[in-house]
Amino acid sequence: MSAGPRRRAVIAGVATSDYPHLPHLSEHAVHAQAADRALADAGLTFADVDGLATTGFFPMYATGVAEYLGLHPIYLDETNTGGSSFEVLVEHAAHAVEAGAVDVVLVTYGSVQLSQMGRRLGTGGGGGGFAPGPAIYDALWGNTLVGNYALAARRHMHEFGTTPEQLAGVAVSMRRHAAHNPQAQEREPITVEDVVSSRLVADPLHKLDCCVISDGGAACIVTTEERAADLPRAPVYVLGAAHATTHHMNMSAMPSLTRTPAAQSGPVAFARAGITPQDVDVAQLYDSFTITVVLTVEDLGFCAKGEGGSFVENGGLELGGRLPTNTDGGGLSACHPGMRGMFLIVEAVRQLRGECGATQVPAAAIAVAHGTGGMLSTGATLVLGKEAP
Amino acid sequence: MTLRWFPDEMPMPAASAETMGWWEAAADHRLVVQTCTECGTTRHPPGPLCPHCRSSAWQWRQVPGTGKVYTYTVVHQAFIASLSDRLPYVVAAVELDDAGGARLVSNLVDVEPAAVTVDMAVEVVWEDMGPELAVPRFRPIPGAAPGPRR
Repeated sequence: MSAGPRRRAVIAGVATSDYPHLPHLSEHAVHAQAADRALADAGLTFADVDGLATTGFFPMYATGVAEYLGLHPIYLDETNTGGSSFEVLVEHAAHAVEAGAVDVVLVTYGSVQLSQMGRRLGTGGGGGGFAPGPAIYDALWGNTLVGNYALAARRHMHEFGTTPEQLAGVAVSMRRHAAHNPQAQEREPITVEDVVSSRLVADPLHKLDCCVISDGGAACIVTTEERAADLPRAPVYVLGAAHATTHHMNMSAMPSLTRTPAAQSGPVAFARAGITPQDVDVAQLYDSFTITVVLTVEDLGFCAKGEGGSFVENGGLELGGRLPTNTDGGGLSACHPGMRGMFLIVEAVRQLRGECGATQVPAAAIAVAHGTGGMLSTGATLVLGKEAP
Repeated sequence: MTLRWFPDEMPMPAASAETMGWWEAAADHRLVVQTCTECGTTRHPPGPLCPHCRSSAWQWRQVPGTGKVYTYTVVHQAFIASLSDRLPYVVAAVELDDAGGARLVSNLVDVEPAAVTVDMAVEVVWEDMGPELAVPRFRPIPGAAPGPRR
């Protein structure tokens, strides 16, 4: 076997579906729209795809999407790490194309969580039944998903003096960015006062500390630098990636509620990419809740542990700030269909391609997409670059 | 002491090989923590293997049932509709005394939510939910609770 030139993974196309409200589409139809657009963006067709990576909330998910899209891929991945899944799927896809196992991987996400809620979840049902195994140790107490993040927020406030107003600053910054995104679910400017006076969902988190609930999808195409040379878009390089986990879903099993898996995945991903946090021009950080972003900027090393509150307060996340973050408005304002990680990657690529108009970070050359999944349980860091490593 | 703090619609525990002993102790109003007999590391929730030394040998160590609030939240919006009339209620992670740092997520009862603070000293109170099931919740230790009183 001859040793040819090294195969290098790139992202050759990206797209978002319509969002945030798609009552006329099924979950698969959202996938189809995002996939079709990402392939068009890459100058490819479904016939070029030989790998599929996607995940959702039931087993054998990827085979269902493959059938719906009429694909018979030789590479399938449906790794599910919650909200960080799509960073992991792109990491895996990059490894697979570099190893020569596959040439063109379609990574796609679709959800109609908002419309489904109107039909089903919003009836207020749920509860009852039996919680298997260790899950009961968090389920018995009437705690909620927001409540789990609130436990982390309260502990951060206790250890570091972080204030509700500082947390609110995250939501305010995201909303400023969303004002430039015509698709964003919420675009009206808000103030810190608006956030802290919105109703409490799980103290200290208010309604406006929580992401929106949306329908939507997104997709990207992972292939080789060689293949992308003939394609219309400038390729974006996968410079480094890593993921980590601290616990499953029980907050009682999380070693420290103020240290997330990002503290492990970030340094490894940066080392693999040969960069430091100082080299990052723009970030797309999972913002399920305001506290998620404060913890992530600390754990990825953009500021010291405990200083996330003041980092945010001083406009660190905004355009022109230290680390322009979630330039599409993020999950807090633009779109959060449940597992938002794919949107982070799409926006990172658009920044590196210089397509972001009013929210473009000048001369952005290195972007980080970091997904957080479960109950702060998983973190996946993806470092993307405009130039070949 | 019977509180019947939450309605019947709450999920009920389905015990496994590792958790059965914990629930049996709870039914006797004894709070126990799974402890590795090789290296002494405690763990919660219970599991088959010590995450520190990987030993599968363990015993239940009875703990005093006191502890301090590691963190807490006051829930104002319930996910289970039938909990709506219990709002607001307090969910806390309690760091148990003499338990090697093990924490238990539970509720704080007999306290105004506004009076709860991190590091508040608490003690277990048992809620009997049936002949074979009791659930530990926590309340401030009288006289030991710092923070504002209402």
